[in-house]
Parts: sequence; structure tokens; C-alpha cells
Amino acid sequence: MIVQATHTVLFYLIAALALVMALSVVFSRKLLRAAIALMGVLALTAGLYILLGAEFLAGVQVLVYVGGIVVLIVFAIMLTRSSDLLEDQPTLPRALLGAFVGLVFLVMSSAVFFSSPFQADTSGAQVTDDTVAIGRSLLDYGPKGYVLPFEIISLLLLAAAIGGIVIARKIPAPSQPFTSGGDLPGEADFTQPRSQREEA
Amino acid sequence: MIPFLASHTPGITEWLILTAVLFAVGLCGLLTRRNAVGILMAAELMLNASAMSFVVFNRFRSPGEVDGQVMAIFVIAVAAAEVVVGMAIFVAMFRYRATIDVTQMNYLRK
Repeated sequence: MIVQATHTVLFYLIAALALVMALSVVFSRKLLRAAIALMGVLALTAGLYILLGAEFLAGVQVLVYVGGIVVLIVFAIMLTRSSDLLEDQPTLPRALLGAFVGLVFLVMSSAVFFSSPFQADTSGAQVTDDTVAIGRSLLDYGPKGYVLPFEIISLLLLAAAIGGIVIARKIPAPSQPFTSGGDLPGEADFTQPRSQREEA
Repeated sequence: MIPFLASHTPGITEWLILTAVLFAVGLCGLLTRRNAVGILMAAELMLNASAMSFVVFNRFRSPGEVDGQVMAIFVIAVAAAEVVVGMAIFVAMFRYRATIDVTQMNYLRK
């Protein structure tokens, strides 16, 4: 009984904290602060995964999201000097549109959730949190296996990494948009606005 | 107090409402942010919420399987790929134009 009570308390506590941090991600005027709040949301989500009985996924979440993606986002903020600038307040129509779309989505999906009779699993099976089962399922080429998406996603990650390097590198590559402006002599100073720049 | 809390453990509806709220907050940010990195962060929020709903369905509909968790792993991998390419594009765009305000990105109209 005490276990269920703790479960309930933890769920509502973590959910409230995650909601506050998510609002801070979206509405904070300083982007670096928003990135830290995003890290909080993702770490709290790892806690929710543990409540759901998915401990392996919680570990993956902390390793990849909190350790990798947030660091990349902080790099992006610093490399684009966004932390120096305060984010402009959105114009009124834009803010109204965002709030309207978010609220409509929330109301519609809540209506669906409350009206659908979700049939709970009645077989009484215990929650599997078997890392072995996840690994076997990823590499299984049978009808319930995921080996094809697994291979595709590994190729996608490789292509994304190479593409990221090619797009963001400094050495100018002819006939590619957005990659010139490197550090070779004779290059234009791309930190100036285009109208004030003298053509090289 | 404790019996009341123990008899009110969150069911599938409560969990799904939580994911929907997080997704809606991300959607709102996606539409209101002007800085491209802010938009990317809002998109990460939405991806995170949808991955969590996969795990919720896994937990409440078929606890003996791991399909939902595998899907959540795929979502996390796609989010990682997306943020790598997004960061590269923002850095290149900043070098070219010295701003990543999305309201200024109208090259094709000029």
C-alpha cells in the first residue's frame, strides 16, 4: 500500500515539476536558461520512465538526451551568440496563435483520452524491463523484430553526422550554398550584413 | 491519507494527459519562438512527449512486450540526428547572415 501511495505522490510531483520546466523552456527570454530547463524536463522524463518500469530506457534517456542533445543545443546557442541577445517577445498575433493551437490540441486529445475505453491488459503479465528482450527485439529479423528499422536508423545517424560536418565546416566548398565565408584569405567578412559587405 | 493515495495511482488517462500537456506546451513554443534554436528546443520537447506516450501505451496495454520501449529508442535516435543537422544549419546560417531569427529568413522572396 505504501508503495502505491509513493507511486502516486512521485507521479504528481514529477509531472508538476516537468510542466513548470517545460513552460520555462518555451517562455524564458534567455535561451541558455531555456536550455537548462530543457535538461530538467528530460531528466524528469527519465524519472517518469523509471516509474513506468522502463529502467533501461531511463538510462538511454539520460545518456543520449541529457548528456548529448542538450550539450549540442548549448553549443548551438553559444556558436550563434544567441545567449547575448534577449529573445524578442513574440508579436501578439503570433502569441495568440500559439496559445490557441496548443489549447485546441490539448482539448481535442483530452476529449479522446477521456472518451475512449482503453482496455487495460487483463492477462496479468508483469512489466518486462528486460534489457535482453529489448536487444533481441532490435536484432530479431522475424515478423515481430525490428532489425530493418534498426539498420536504417544507424545509417540515418551516420548520414546526419557527416551532413552536419559538411554543412557547418569553415573551408569554403564551391557550388554549395551557406558553406562559403571560411577563413581563407580573400573571403568576404560574413559577420557584416550583406548590404555593407564589399564583394571579394 | 495513505489509503487515499494508494487507491489513486495514475491510470493510463492521467499519463496520457501528462504527455498531451507537454506536447501542447512544445507546440505553443514552436509557433511563438523567433530564435531558431528556441524552435529546435520546442521540437525536442514534443519528441520527448511522444516518446513517453509510446512507453505509456507499452506499460498499460501490453506490459509483457517491449515494442513501445523499442519505438521510444527509435524516437530518441531520430531526435539526436535532427539536432545534429539543425545545429549545423544554424551555425552555417549564422555565419552567412549573422542572425538566426526565423522571421529574417526570406532569401527566396528577394
